[in-house]
Amino acid sequence: MRNLSASTALGLGCIAFALILAFIWIPLDVETWLVERKRGRYIVGDSLAPTLAAAFILLAGVMLWFERRSRDPRPTRQNLTFIGAISFFGLVGILLMRWSGPVVTSVFGAEEYRLLRDTAPWKYIGFVLGGSTMVFCIVSFVEQRVSWRAFWVALAAVVGIIALYDLPFDDVLLPPNGDV
Amino acid sequence: MADLGTFDYVWLGILAVFQGPEAFSLLGVSVSITVMMVAFGLILGIVVGATPGLGGVIAMAISLPILISIFGFNADALLPVMGFLIGVMKGSTVGGAVPAILFNTPGTPDAYMTTLDGYPMAQSGKARKALKISHFSSVTGDTFSDVVLIVCAPFLAILVEAHLDLPEKTALLILSLSFIAAVVGGSAAKGLLSCGLGLLAVYIGTGEDFYPRLSFGTAALSDGIPITAAVIGVLVIGAIFSELENLWAQKRQTGAIQVAKEEGDQRLHWADIRRIFPYIGRSALIGTTIGALPGVGSTLAATIGYATSKRLYTKTKKPGDPAFGQGAPEGIAATEAANSSVSGANLIPVLSLGIPGNTAAVFLILAAESIGGFNPGPAVFQFSSDLNPELVIAFGLFTTMILANLLNWTVGGVFMRSLGVLVRIPKQYLLPVVLLLTLASLYVQETSMSAIWFAFGFGILGYFMMRFAISPLPFVIGFILGGRIEDTARQAFSATGGDPWFLFKSPIAAMFMLCALAVIFVSLRKPKGDMP
Repeated sequence: MRNLSASTALGLGCIAFALILAFIWIPLDVETWLVERKRGRYIVGDSLAPTLAAAFILLAGVMLWFERRSRDPRPTRQNLTFIGAISFFGLVGILLMRWSGPVVTSVFGAEEYRLLRDTAPWKYIGFVLGGSTMVFCIVSFVEQRVSWRAFWVALAAVVGIIALYDLPFDDVLLPPNGDV
Repeated sequence: MADLGTFDYVWLGILAVFQGPEAFSLLGVSVSITVMMVAFGLILGIVVGATPGLGGVIAMAISLPILISIFGFNADALLPVMGFLIGVMKGSTVGGAVPAILFNTPGTPDAYMTTLDGYPMAQSGKARKALKISHFSSVTGDTFSDVVLIVCAPFLAILVEAHLDLPEKTALLILSLSFIAAVVGGSAAKGLLSCGLGLLAVYIGTGEDFYPRLSFGTAALSDGIPITAAVIGVLVIGAIFSELENLWAQKRQTGAIQVAKEEGDQRLHWADIRRIFPYIGRSALIGTTIGALPGVGSTLAATIGYATSKRLYTKTKKPGDPAFGQGAPEGIAATEAANSSVSGANLIPVLSLGIPGNTAAVFLILAAESIGGFNPGPAVFQFSSDLNPELVIAFGLFTTMILANLLNWTVGGVFMRSLGVLVRIPKQYLLPVVLLLTLASLYVQETSMSAIWFAFGFGILGYFMMRFAISPLPFVIGFILGGRIEDTARQAFSATGGDPWFLFKSPIAAMFMLCALAVIFVSLRKPKGDMP
């Protein structure tokens, strides 16, 4: 297994995923089969198109075994560290964006957040906190240091986006105010 | 209304652009909103093209929801919005050469070959001249490509509509997918995988049954994955992550940017134009031919244009002239003409067949789908004697392309040469802001937090695809065409009375299917590199 190339491993993963898709996920999670008989006529069922997708992935997996290649690119440990950190900052930022407005409103607001979602300053809480946290954390991580400059850039970015979308358009709602 | 002929449609298209709603009046001359939007798009395109780390795709992703918020969902919005996107597309190709020539940093991937001769020219004090050569070659190639598009797209569409029935159209869509999978990136297997994942993603939560398929019974998946979230996630956010990682890995070791002082004659003379014109012509032909094939990008065109011109140059160069790669103006001309002539030709498959050939075309389709009233494909080019509004829009789009080229010829070059300063914006600040702006733009369009989650998730998928050297473009095109393939196949199956071999019964459909298989297996035989 030590000599297994990234493309071969990817090919194996594709074959396994395609088989699970075709023989477990599609049969259990789609109502109709590949072809159905309805009122005496044969029609295409909802399973056919996803099965075609599975066939593409399966064929790709098989071809990855046979394809000649000059290089064997794969994600390194450094790549995984980077994307893990970025995913974490994204997760925190989006969660803050979604929940900080309702939480702050429940503590300090007179009404529930849903009724205040188009009223300043409540409507900005989530976007300002979540957005600036996301930008600040990513800038600091990439620079590998925490700086006031990153903080001001993050704040300027959210203020700029609010000025771009919220001030000129009455019918535009910033996240998360459209679907809370 | 009198019966309409071909020239009436052409004229109506021109009028739709110039006599649409007025934006402002200049010296008593009314300037329409569409004309203004084309100009804005071109300027924005040149700016983002000249900013390393940004590009036309990011600009289109962010602009689209803003434009839809401004213009609304009605047919009058189509030309201003799509004209703006066309302006961005053309501007970003021109702008990409600025940092490539001045700082050896290509603003867009297809400007990489421009660095080879552009940067040495800038270092030898000929930066302004190099920018002029680049601009002249780029706009000439682009104009040539647009002329080919305007002439070819309607004929191709009419041919397709006249000769292809439902089974043939299904087979043609499958052929397009397999062709894109085989030629985009370095590996057919990886292209096919990317395409298969795109198809799978679009089939989640859709279908004709009461139960939304592949949704695990969850509310989040039961409405399907929003097309903008998938496209922007994989293409834009994935690229932002990848670019950020490069910066993270460099640990800010880039240092200060050195700019060479200008020396000597900076003007572009008629003798210079005569000298570079054979290279522009050759590369424009190569770029247009390559661009007409769906999925074949401008980077490949630039590479082939450069390599072909290098062979010609080696035979004809005078002693004392710089060699290719050492500051030859012919090298810049060959590269820029080739990569710019792809953009117009890339719209041939999207306008005549409804098959997006590149990322810019993907955003034109997204705009058309979001606004409604225009469905790119063969049905658009029906020259009926009763008014066909889609055909007027198509000729309106052609007009916006010519207009964008005229603006590019006149003010584009001057504007482009003033943008060297943009390369100084630190990417580590710019990219996270662009990420937030992209997510906010997406939310404005979809009004759903799940769209943000999906986009972020697809961004991570796009990042991993790049790390495995899998091009995200087949994913996006699979996602866009997946629904059409299924619908056409359903109709073809029913129309042939439930014949399971409907894709192989007619000679044309069978030929398309055989070609689809042949394309994949022929590409297997070549040694593979990484994606461009």
